[in-house]
Amino acid sequence: MNVSLATFPFLSATLLSCIVGLVTILLIPGRRKDLIRWVSACFSGISLVLSIYLFAAYDRTQGGLQFVEKITWVKSLGIQYFNAADGFDLPLILLTGIVHFTGVLSMWELERRVKEFFALYFVLVTGVFGFFMSMDLFFLFVWYDVSLFPMYPLIVIWGSTRKEYGGMKLFLYLLFGSALILPAMIYLFVQSGGVGFDIPSLIQPGTFSPFQQKFAFLFLYLGFGILAGVWPFHTWSPSGHVAAPTSVSMVHAGVLMKLGAFGVLRVAIFLCPLGWEYWAPWMAVLATIGIIYGVLVGLVQKDLKFVVAYSSVSHMGIVGLGLATVTAEGLSGAVFQMFAHGIMTALLFSSVGYFHDRTDTKSIPELGGMSRIMPVASTYFIVGALAGMGVPGFANFWAELTVILSSLRVYPISGVTAILALVVSALFMLRVVQQTFYGATNERFAKLPDVTPGLGVPRIILIATLLLFGFFPSLMLDLIHASVFPFMEGLPK
Amino acid sequence: MTWIIAAPELYFLFTAAVFFTFAMISRPNAKRDYITALVLALPAVLVTLACVKLHGGFSQFYRVDLFSQIFKVLLAMGFFLIVCICLQLHGIREERHPEFYLLLSVCTLAMMVLVSSVDLLTIYVSLELSSYSLYILVALRKGNGHSLEGGIKYFLMGAAVSAIMLFGMALLYGACGETNVSAIANALSADIASPMLVIGLMLTLCGFFFKLAVFPFHFWAPGVYQGAANQVTAYIATATKAAAVALLLRFATVGAESVYLVHILVALAIASMTLGNLAAIGQKDLKRLLAYSTVAQAGYILIGILCMSESGFAAAIFYAAAYLMMNFICFVVVVKVGEQGGNVLVSGLAGLHRRSPLLAVSIMAGVFSLGGLPPTAGFTGKFLVFTAAMEKGYFYLVLIGMLNVLVSLYYYVLVVKAAYFLDPEEPLPAIELSFPTKLLLVAIVISLLVGGMYPDIFYGPALAAARALAG
Repeated sequence: MNVSLATFPFLSATLLSCIVGLVTILLIPGRRKDLIRWVSACFSGISLVLSIYLFAAYDRTQGGLQFVEKITWVKSLGIQYFNAADGFDLPLILLTGIVHFTGVLSMWELERRVKEFFALYFVLVTGVFGFFMSMDLFFLFVWYDVSLFPMYPLIVIWGSTRKEYGGMKLFLYLLFGSALILPAMIYLFVQSGGVGFDIPSLIQPGTFSPFQQKFAFLFLYLGFGILAGVWPFHTWSPSGHVAAPTSVSMVHAGVLMKLGAFGVLRVAIFLCPLGWEYWAPWMAVLATIGIIYGVLVGLVQKDLKFVVAYSSVSHMGIVGLGLATVTAEGLSGAVFQMFAHGIMTALLFSSVGYFHDRTDTKSIPELGGMSRIMPVASTYFIVGALAGMGVPGFANFWAELTVILSSLRVYPISGVTAILALVVSALFMLRVVQQTFYGATNERFAKLPDVTPGLGVPRIILIATLLLFGFFPSLMLDLIHASVFPFMEGLPK
Repeated sequence: MTWIIAAPELYFLFTAAVFFTFAMISRPNAKRDYITALVLALPAVLVTLACVKLHGGFSQFYRVDLFSQIFKVLLAMGFFLIVCICLQLHGIREERHPEFYLLLSVCTLAMMVLVSSVDLLTIYVSLELSSYSLYILVALRKGNGHSLEGGIKYFLMGAAVSAIMLFGMALLYGACGETNVSAIANALSADIASPMLVIGLMLTLCGFFFKLAVFPFHFWAPGVYQGAANQVTAYIATATKAAAVALLLRFATVGAESVYLVHILVALAIASMTLGNLAAIGQKDLKRLLAYSTVAQAGYILIGILCMSESGFAAAIFYAAAYLMMNFICFVVVVKVGEQGGNVLVSGLAGLHRRSPLLAVSIMAGVFSLGGLPPTAGFTGKFLVFTAAMEKGYFYLVLIGMLNVLVSLYYYVLVVKAAYFLDPEEPLPAIELSFPTKLLLVAIVISLLVGGMYPDIFYGPALAAARALAG
């Protein structure tokens, strides 16, 4: 077995923290609910610490792939267990660490089938971490599927609002995506003429002809695009988000959708840059439609979770638009937006989940005057909504600004449309905030207690993250630039 | 020529003789029959394993090579696994148990001969021998109208297909004056345009398609699966499929040069996958569902075969081995859940995770592997098959295959859903599993995972077998 490790295997340690956590949870008897919660918090905490370390320890001056771990796996097919990270992966690894930890804390009050819930949750997160750090196409696909299949039981057992429909729809849609991805991956593997599945080797110029790149890109983009919620393949996302329990919605909208966008970036764009340039205008069209569509449909929703879900579709459209610009700025903005939106939407879903758990409703007309009943809990949602509107001071502001500035240069119409859509989205978010938190108080909920300090912790972590990267965007942008610029310079002109 | 090369076959002949004696002279004793079968079945696996490296043959009729020996190991394993789940052979009258094991041994023996046969005559005779054993096995189920119907349906269709196959063989012989498979292959490559040869080959293949339940030769499968005793169905769904794959591979090398053959195989693969999966969606009976899933799985295996390349053949062999395990595991659940040997509805799995967590995990592993979810052997098998097809430029075939995987996952997930998320209408008792059964289930689940995560362990021998086939 050929093993190659540059330093201590931090990436594998992050994965292992989830896998060991999973095994430990499985070994604890189901009735020891508190122990299971603490074990989950402990192991998700370890993965959070490791992901923060990875983010901080990456040498930005040096750039390139770092923390490389390589083990030959299936020699006959050239498959390797190959983990590494660069400025594209690390924001998302950090995002996963944060959402994983806060997700566990948000589900602290869960009482039904606690063991199974956290076990499946850990499987899901393991897949997500693996996907973000894998540099081998085969493993990348395996991790992708590993992260998808727990979604179904998580939604069907612990979800709400048409959960069986939402769960099955999501499962089939996402698998449909993988039905497009796998043939394209195998196609690239075969066309590479024995290079194997190793992404850094496959991206060497000249490995694929222009036709092959255009052909494979289309399938990869559509396949991953489904998971990224690209219009018109987004319909699984609102029903799935709404049906899922709180922390699953958080991971789902916060992290899982990024798997799709990141797949487009890491696989489709990296391996088929000519295909990317060729299809970029179409990507921009779909992204722009997604942005407008999410806003317009969100406008008429009465369910608070649907509002957040459709705003996700719109915000993921911004990621798509950034990727479609074929510029370094657009790419940086897209990666930053993936991170910022992940944190922001996790915050929104965790807040909605809290209201839903207490009031048993997500209907905007029913909720009302919540800021007087639960001022602290309301603040969390309002802060999330402000971040979503792109208010300066939050990470989302920089991300959206970067994408829109670059898209105004490349696709002026899309850029202007996106700005208008964002303005409308801000207005409708304000309307939702006004109706839910400042309208007439629903007496039925007048006696409900406010959020406990324990449950406040995850929300505060998420807000702090948004503010940290909002006030110091260079913390993130420097890291992303360290990888984006060398990548763009290496592209065939 | 030394007799040792026929050790696996001779061993099964001995096994058959033991049960023949039981059937002739002794009083019914289910436990004795079971223990005898088990005691004989385990060494059978060891004997075939010990003979893996042997090669040689009898004149031009019978070839012992790595290819045939690997399939013999699979067949012996299939036999062993089926015997393992026969402790409570509720579906079959006690006085018929010796006959049951006798027929099972004879059928396995016949299929072992089949995988080594390289002459039309030996192929036909051994195929018929295995078929007749199966016809009787299907009809053995006690007091069940479906069983008789299934048996008759199987027999009539089998006889018709057998006649067609014989006609095809006659045409092949007529066209090239040879009965040896290699000689026919040479004749075919020399005179590929001869309609008589091509038609002869196609008609001959019908017999093997029937065995594998490839569309449109699959009509027997749902009825027979439903009608036969659970253990018999398990046997038909696992071991006989391995033999059919071996035979198809043997003949694929014959027709490797024929474009027509490849086109027909492509059409059959697509039709099998698609129709099998679509038909499975609506099934309520778990065995019927698995029957249609077999039709679909046959389509995936055909993709490997139609590549006509070493990697394609190796992928098909890998897939056949994986298929044996994953399908078997589903049938263990059918046997254990089906009270008194009855059939099991998909909804009958409700609450399985409480009744027996191990069975629930097992069926989840089994159907997820059938559906091709990583990290199971089913996923790797599909991956290998699709890679081989892509090497030949069949992008569209891989795409259709993947879309079929998607459809199949829908109904496989319904099975898992029933086991995990549905509650039975009235509380059902826990299902007690004996220690050996637990061990068996754990071993198979682990092998499915090992096959998925370290495919080299199984893919290496499969590749060597494919090379032996070509050589």
